[in-house]
Amino acid sequence: MKLIKIDKKSLKEGIDKLKRTYGVFGPVREKDEFEFKALGAAEMPDFSFSNTRMSPKAIVYPQTQLMFTYSLNDADDDCRILKEVPMDERPRAVIGIRPCDALAFPLVRRNFDTPEYQDTFWVKAYEATTFVGLACNVPCGTCFCTSAGTSPFGKEGLDVLLVEDGDDLFAEALTPKGEALLETAGWTAEAGGGAEEKITALAATANEQISSTVAFDNIKNREILELYNAPFWEEEGFSCINCGTCTYVCPTCWCFDIQDETYGKSGVRMRNWDTCMSPLFTLHASGHNPRTKKVERVRQRFMHKLKYYVDKYDNGIQCVGCGRCVRLCPVNIDIRSICNKMNNFDSEACKCETASS
Amino acid sequence: MTGYTEKIREIAARLLTEGKVDRVIGFRKGTVPMMNQPHYVTSPAMAGELIWDSHCGLNLANYVTDRKERIGIVAKGCDSRNLVTHIIENKIKRDQLVIIGVPCTGMVDRSKVCALVEGEITSVEESDDAITVSGNGFSKTIAKTDVLRENCAVCTHRNPVIHDEMVGEPVAEQTGVDAYASVKKVEALSPEEKWNYFEDLISTCIRCYACRNACPLCYCPTCFVDESRPQWVGKSQDPIDVRTFHLLRAYHCAGRCTDCGACETACPMGIKVREFTKKLNKDCFELYGWEAGLTLDKRPPLDVYKTDDPDDFIR
Amino acid sequence: MKNLLEHTGIAPGRLHFSWISSAESTKFVDVVKKITEEVKALEPALNYAKTEPKVN
Repeated sequence: MKLIKIDKKSLKEGIDKLKRTYGVFGPVREKDEFEFKALGAAEMPDFSFSNTRMSPKAIVYPQTQLMFTYSLNDADDDCRILKEVPMDERPRAVIGIRPCDALAFPLVRRNFDTPEYQDTFWVKAYEATTFVGLACNVPCGTCFCTSAGTSPFGKEGLDVLLVEDGDDLFAEALTPKGEALLETAGWTAEAGGGAEEKITALAATANEQISSTVAFDNIKNREILELYNAPFWEEEGFSCINCGTCTYVCPTCWCFDIQDETYGKSGVRMRNWDTCMSPLFTLHASGHNPRTKKVERVRQRFMHKLKYYVDKYDNGIQCVGCGRCVRLCPVNIDIRSICNKMNNFDSEACKCETASS
Repeated sequence: MTGYTEKIREIAARLLTEGKVDRVIGFRKGTVPMMNQPHYVTSPAMAGELIWDSHCGLNLANYVTDRKERIGIVAKGCDSRNLVTHIIENKIKRDQLVIIGVPCTGMVDRSKVCALVEGEITSVEESDDAITVSGNGFSKTIAKTDVLRENCAVCTHRNPVIHDEMVGEPVAEQTGVDAYASVKKVEALSPEEKWNYFEDLISTCIRCYACRNACPLCYCPTCFVDESRPQWVGKSQDPIDVRTFHLLRAYHCAGRCTDCGACETACPMGIKVREFTKKLNKDCFELYGWEAGLTLDKRPPLDVYKTDDPDDFIR
Repeated sequence: MKNLLEHTGIAPGRLHFSWISSAESTKFVDVVKKITEEVKALEPALNYAKTEPKVN
């Protein structure tokens, strides 16, 4: 393991160099919260954040993405032919992404980049991106990454991991992409002895601070219908207002909706994030809607993340433990409680009455 | 406000024991500090799950829309006004409801509290007029009046306007507050400044529709933004489509909004969406002397025609 | 209607209301003429005109 040391004072110099090669994204304070933004010439990533309010998924997968344009003018040679909207394929670098959010990219990739299908928009953007992580020295009370496949110092999904230690940053290149980025930034000074031990100690302290966990070891062995028909959905789903907050702030929610917008004789085809919380999500063209009740939609979201995904990919849950939905759900529906409820559910023992809706 | 919890539990247990209601809707303690969850209990044994404190900002009237059973519902001033509106609009029948009135001294704005401390808040305690928040290495007591939600700070209907039970003595109503101060500030701007003010206000909107869905007034079977035939408004992040949503959402609340603030409390992006509805509330007050949900005996102004309705705008 | 639109930055004078009976053709013509003149004088309101979606 080769460790690089970066003096925080020279951070700007390195990032300025990066900006010549990469579109650089980083956490910046916006109004009262942090968000990932493309950094302007004078802007620097602000590492004083705990985590950003929105996840960084939009860097690869924007909320609205123009996919194609078309003409409806018969006089045009390309009338009624979809033309792909050119993408910015310049290399981009995300500086300061947290390990939980980084894990979300390989997770979402299972959906967008399969042997049968490649979502070219997502794949191109993903491949153009170098992920520079920032380890969490101080995780929040709503974090549960350690039981969701990563940890405050987790490396999966990252090209470089940065660790903050006072006035210094330690950087470890994890992939050739990461090595190239460190090279470009001119961050090459090797960290002296003791760095590894320091990082191990910081990681141990951070791990200890993770105060909440989810368990899903039993979920895989349960029948889908047993969980699907569990009586607790009615009670747990009661407070849901069916807004899209949980899905939009989630780094692993990947669903989208395709829309055409036509203006006179020309138009665009775009996709927008969609949310399974909306009745429109499942509305068929016939007018039939298989999920008319809100509790069915709440169940769908958790069953997808915690059961269907688990069964399909055999690779953990579709959640990285970032805690955004826990913090931002207007009615405090908590995926941790739901996951544990699903895991501990015992249909034999459950004699509780099914609440009427 | 301390002591309300016990009283709510006691009333809920009694109503359920006596079989007067099928369920009682209230709040249960949330899993993160300063968050509570709308919840229902169906048996006296469950009544202990209900709680009350200064973090019950959502509007429970939202949870009775079109329900058929008999419901006991915990209602602070604004919730009770929305129950009145619901009854007037035939979304629930008066005799289905046992309204458990809660005199209210205002709900706390979580983001204001968070802004006052460095670090993550891990626990919160509350006394009558102050809350104490603590986290790793800090503890701070804050006067509730300093961190009230903006709608609560200017509220003049803290006591339930309609109730069958009360959990405490009525509280003194606030006097001398200017409910429309924020609107007046915007009114003084030029058209261009106004445009930019709202452009900035909604710039972070992610169109999750939490504002709409937290609102008891928004019960249309299909919202205009969700219609696809015809499609009234685009669904992308285009700023004009986003603004159209906010404008039309507000119009649908004209003469009905009680300024309960659930929309702002629900917004994950901290957008002051009340800036839209508040203007309509002010107009309704100035043109018709109307504040929504105060009485079952009057039809709302946009529901009736009177010969002396203001018509200066027509020529 | 008019108040909130103007409150959010649509210039006053763009939205007009009138009550015209089907028998009042001359009033209709007058009102339309007057409104057209007034709105033309304000120049196009480009900020609330969508020609194509503007997204990042």
